[in-house]
Order: sequence, then C-alpha cells, then structure tokens
Amino acid sequence: MKSISRRDFLKVGGLALFGTAGAVALNQKNDQQPQTSRISPPMQHGDGIVPGTVGEVDHEANGFNPTDILTDFDYGEVSTLPDGRILREYKIITINKEIEIVPGIKFPAWTYNGRIPGPTLRCTEGDLVRITFQNGSDHPHTLHFHGIHTGAMDGVPGTGPGGNVQPGGSFTYEFDAEPFGLHLYHCHVFPLARHIAKGLYGAFIIDPKEGRSSVDREMVMVMSGFDIDFDDANDFYAVNAIPFHYQNHPIQIKVGETVRVYLVNILEFDFVNSFHLHANFFHYYPTGTSLTSAEFTDTIIQGQAQRGILEFSYQYPGMYMFHAHVTEFAELGWNGMIEVTE
Amino acid sequence: MTENSTNKTRFTFQSLILLLVPIILLAGVIALFLSTGGGLSLESAAPVESLDVERYVLKQNSIELHVRNTGPQEITIANIIINAAVMPFHVEPGANIQRLRRAVIHFDYPWSYGEAYAITIFTSNAVAFNVEIPVAFETPQPSSNTFWGFTLIGLYVGVIPVFLGIFWFPALRQLGRRAMTFLMAVTAGLLVFLGLDTLAEALDFAIKVPSAFQGIGLIGIGTVGTFLLLDAISNQQTRIMGNETDRGLAVAFMIAIGIGFHNLGEGLAIGAAYSVGEIALGTFLVVGFIIQNITEGLGIIAPVLRDRPSIGRLAIMGLIGGGPAIIGAWIGGYTPSPFLAVLFLAIGAGAIFEVIYEIAKLIQKDTAREGGAMPMTIFSGVLTGMLMLWVTGLLIK
Repeated sequence: MKSISRRDFLKVGGLALFGTAGAVALNQKNDQQPQTSRISPPMQHGDGIVPGTVGEVDHEANGFNPTDILTDFDYGEVSTLPDGRILREYKIITINKEIEIVPGIKFPAWTYNGRIPGPTLRCTEGDLVRITFQNGSDHPHTLHFHGIHTGAMDGVPGTGPGGNVQPGGSFTYEFDAEPFGLHLYHCHVFPLARHIAKGLYGAFIIDPKEGRSSVDREMVMVMSGFDIDFDDANDFYAVNAIPFHYQNHPIQIKVGETVRVYLVNILEFDFVNSFHLHANFFHYYPTGTSLTSAEFTDTIIQGQAQRGILEFSYQYPGMYMFHAHVTEFAELGWNGMIEVTE
Repeated sequence: MTENSTNKTRFTFQSLILLLVPIILLAGVIALFLSTGGGLSLESAAPVESLDVERYVLKQNSIELHVRNTGPQEITIANIIINAAVMPFHVEPGANIQRLRRAVIHFDYPWSYGEAYAITIFTSNAVAFNVEIPVAFETPQPSSNTFWGFTLIGLYVGVIPVFLGIFWFPALRQLGRRAMTFLMAVTAGLLVFLGLDTLAEALDFAIKVPSAFQGIGLIGIGTVGTFLLLDAISNQQTRIMGNETDRGLAVAFMIAIGIGFHNLGEGLAIGAAYSVGEIALGTFLVVGFIIQNITEGLGIIAPVLRDRPSIGRLAIMGLIGGGPAIIGAWIGGYTPSPFLAVLFLAIGAGAIFEVIYEIAKLIQKDTAREGGAMPMTIFSGVLTGMLMLWVTGLLIK
C-alpha cells in the first residue's frame, strides 16, 4: 500500500477545486439559460390547430343524422274530427340504444324513437294531439309536454297512469295544442336530470292558427350535452346530439334566403346555454309565443328548458360560425358553421 | 445410515411423476374454470380499464402523452380533451393498446408558458383518465445544453460532495483508535439514515409504478436480493483474504457502491422532477445537497482510515459513490421511469443495509480488541451520524 503524501493530496485537491470552479462557471451560464427560454417563442395559432373530432360517427348505426334532423318535422297522422277540428296522432316509443356521439365513443342512451333529440312534433294551435306512448326500455319513463293541458296528461309521477309508464307498458296522452309557440317534451321520471341527460327529449312546435311569416328555410336545433362518465358534469356539448357535426358538415344556405331556427335548450348539469351567430344579427322570439320580435341581437342566453325562435338572412357569401357563447361549450362540441353561397 | 442418505438423494421416474401430478391437476382445474366459469358470474357491468400516463412532453404548439395500458384487457383511445377543448389527435403506433403496451398520443395545442393544463383521455368505453400539467414549459430535449445541465446537477448533488468528504482523509488519519471507532459508528449512523431515506423514496416511487409491475414487491426483491448478494460476496472475500486491511478496503468499496446506488436514485428523482418543472433547483437547495452529501464521502473513508489506500483507489471510491448521481440525472431527466427508480433505490437500500452490517462487524472487532468497553462511543457515534443528516436535511426538504 502506498501512503498518501501531502503533495499527492494537494494534487487531488487542486484537481477537484479546478473541477468545482469550472462547474460554478458553467452553472452561471446555465442560470441564464432558463431565463432566455422563459421568453416563450411565438406560437402560431394557424388554421392547423382547431378543436374538433377526428373521423365521423356511424350515423347509420346511430339511426339518425343531425343534418337530416335539422329539417325533419313530424306532423303526425292527420285526420278531421266530427266537429271539424284537426286530430294529429303520433307514436313514440322509448328504446335503449348505444349512440356513437363522438368517433369511437358509444353512449348508452335512452331515446325516443331511437334518435336524439326525439322527433320534432309539429302541430297547429287548437289541434287535438294524441300521442301513443310505449315504453320499450327497461326503466319507467314518461312523456312530459310543456304546454297547457290537464294534470292527468302531464306525464309526472303522482298524476295517474301517465305519470309513470312501466317497461313494456303504454299510455296515450291527449290534449289540445296550446298555446302556440316553441315548446319541448321530455321524460319526467326520477332521477330527472339523468333521465333527460340520457337522451329523452325533443322539440314540440305549435304553429299559430294564422301561421308565421313565410321563410325559405326552417330548422330545428336542440342544444344538449353528454355526461359520458356519469359524474354529473357534461363531457361534450352539441346541437342535435353530435358534437362538432355542423363544423364538419356546414349548413348550406344561399345569400338572401330567410332562415327560421327553432332553438331549444335541454342541457342538464349546466345552468345556461347560449347561441351566437357570427357576422350577422337575428330577430328573437322568446318561447315563440308572440309574433313580434322581442330583440334584434347576435347572442342570446337560454336557461334549462328555455327556447326561442330566431330569424335571419345573410347578405354576403362565406363561412359563418355559430356556437354557444358560453365558449367552453363551443370547444367541447357546440360549434357549427353555416356556408352561405350565391 | 449411508443407505438412507443415498435413498434420499435418488431421483427416480416415480418422483418425477409425483412432482408433475399437482401441475397436471392445476392445468385441469384451469381448463375446467375457463370452459364453465366455475359457477361464478364474472361479467362485469363496466369494463375494467387502467391507463398510466408515464410522462408528458411539451413541444412548441404540441403535446405528447406517453401512456401504458396497465389494465387487464386491450383499450382504445377515443378522445382527448384539454382545458375544455376537444382536440384532434393521433396515437402511435395505434389507438388500440394491448395490455402492458405503450403508446404515444400526439396532438397540437397552442399552450402558453407557465400556465396549467388539465387533460382528459377518454377510452372507447367512456372511461376517463386525467393528466395534469401543473406548469407548462418546453420539455428539455436531449441536446448538448440540457445534457450539460443534468451533468451539472449530478455533479453538485453527488460527485462534488463525496469528494469533499474524502478530503477529510489526511486529517482524520491522525485520530486515535477510539476516535476512529467513533467515526465508524458515525458512518453507521449516516448509513442507517440514508438507508431509511432510500427506502422511503423507493416507496414514494412505487406508487407511481403501474400496478401490474408491483412496485412494493420490486422493493423487496431489490433490497433483500442486494443485501444477500453483497453478504455472500463479502463472506467469500473474508475467506480468501482474511487480511484486515483488505477487509477495510472491501467495506469501503461496498459503502461506495451502496452510496452510489443511493445517489443514482437521488439523481433520478431530481432529474425527473426538474424535467417536469416540479422543482426549481435553487442555489439554496444545491448548497443543501452539497452539505448533506459531504457526509457520504466521510462514510466511505471511515473503514480505511487506519490503512493507506492509494489516491487512485480513493478517487475511484469517490467516483463510484458520487458519479451515479450524474447518470441518474440523465436517465431521470430524459426518460423518467418509476420502474427503474424503484429498482435502483431498492438496490441502494439493500446495499446500504448490508454495509451497515459489515461496519457493525468491524466495530465489533475493534471493541473486542479494546476490551469491549466503549458502549457510549458507539451510541453517540451512531446518533451523531443520524443527526448530521437530519440537521443538514433541514436545508433541503
């Protein structure tokens, strides 16, 4: 064994000290480095980065396409009663169904007639409306209409057989169509929020006797959300069920065409929803119960179950966005485009 | 008697059959269970899925999530939501991830420096997995700059302090026998503290290890395995050498190895935390590490104070003890792996505990030679060692 001499020791020490000094010098250089990277490089928000889904849901398997739902009005089976009144008969059945709401994710939905939203029922003020409701699901369900009718026809537990239709059971709801306006219907069985959020809702339009001013296009938009992991918070938002559908498939209209949109909010878990139209203004008829426009605006707010009618036309061709101005909903699916052509 | 013992060792065809019987029966039971379900209803209402996000990488205008499927079956990545925005994404090698396989999810996102992000990954069964980015900044990519950065971190927390400790060698050599025994006890105390610390850190990391890889079991294997292996090696050396000087040197080397593994784990932890922005290595923290780890160098030289190891050997011991901190910082900084961290830390703990055992044996020899009459020396030494690390640790924690 060699012994360590003082000289050897100093040699090692010197080496180490040199190393330390070098490291300290390097460290000073290193200290500045994070500071330069702290000035973040400019980020281009190019057209390349846009929220949205990849691919397309299987509309055929879903059994409905939001593009068709826009203009799909169900006027029922029409006949004339002995007293001369119009009778409209509808058939609605609840069906448990897996709906692919975004590509790759299927939601175990409860549906009216296999679609979300359910059929847009349309009638005229004063008609007799008769809906044969069948429960083909494995939970009790009902049809609860917003409108004026008797308690027995309200579709709420505690009001008789129509208030809690058991699986396999059926019930016929019947009432006079009033008042005119834009309404909605949904299931009213406990737990209510869950029964609605699972997909049991639809628009209900009662046209005024004298009709509304004629327009070139009429559309239905039902705003809702999906809580796919059942934590009582929506994961996706949409009009007519499929997030980003009208972003991926813009609604086609022509310059100068008059457009009427029946807009219903049946969003659960969030208090308000909204609608904002880009580069344009619209006349707004809250609940559609007046023929006089209440407001000329480009943004409206709707609470849960609120609804209203929008009328507008575009002067210039181009791509125009429409979306919830509760902007966090927009990037989670409630975003669409209108393509205006000459 | 002899006949009996030969009988015992004979392995016949019959015993082979007997050995195989339970295995054949087992195969039968499994086959029966798979075909009939064993009378149990095993259909679960919801799919059991598990996805581990092993790391995230932030690049300019884009984010990468490195995920591993740790659930019992294949899963499919179906949707990415970041801060309430659904983003288009793609998965490499594919959105279907087999059990225990890894995949990388890429998506573009204009993130901002210093802000926080919450990401939700939805699988096709609508199971949500959440990832949090507490502070966004560009993830250091392997480059000469970051390479130097991590090297410096390792240098500060490992190499420099250990060498500084070794520089006590000439001074401490002058000490008397009793003081040297005290110093050995101090070393034992240091190591007990370090061993516990290493185990605790391993347990910390074990939580982050995908459940399928059983982090806690890994700690057991690493610790016990290393302890017994080093013990076997040391027994072998004693038989070969017997020389007390060589024994001291061997123990010193083993201490260096144990501390090396500890520093490797420390480097891994610091590198990983640094690369995801969880710690800022402030000047104060670095000074704290240097002060605390200087005691590690002291520990390495304690068993060889009486001998005359060459400078080369001392330098090698220093490198073994401190150098791994650099390697750890590299690995932790570029590819943080909780699995590796647990394994290294467990090995470190095993090595440290074995070394304590070796030192105890050396001390026992010393005290036997001195007539066995210095109980307070051992007590105060061990406690001093532990307190040294505890007090200097106040600077770091």
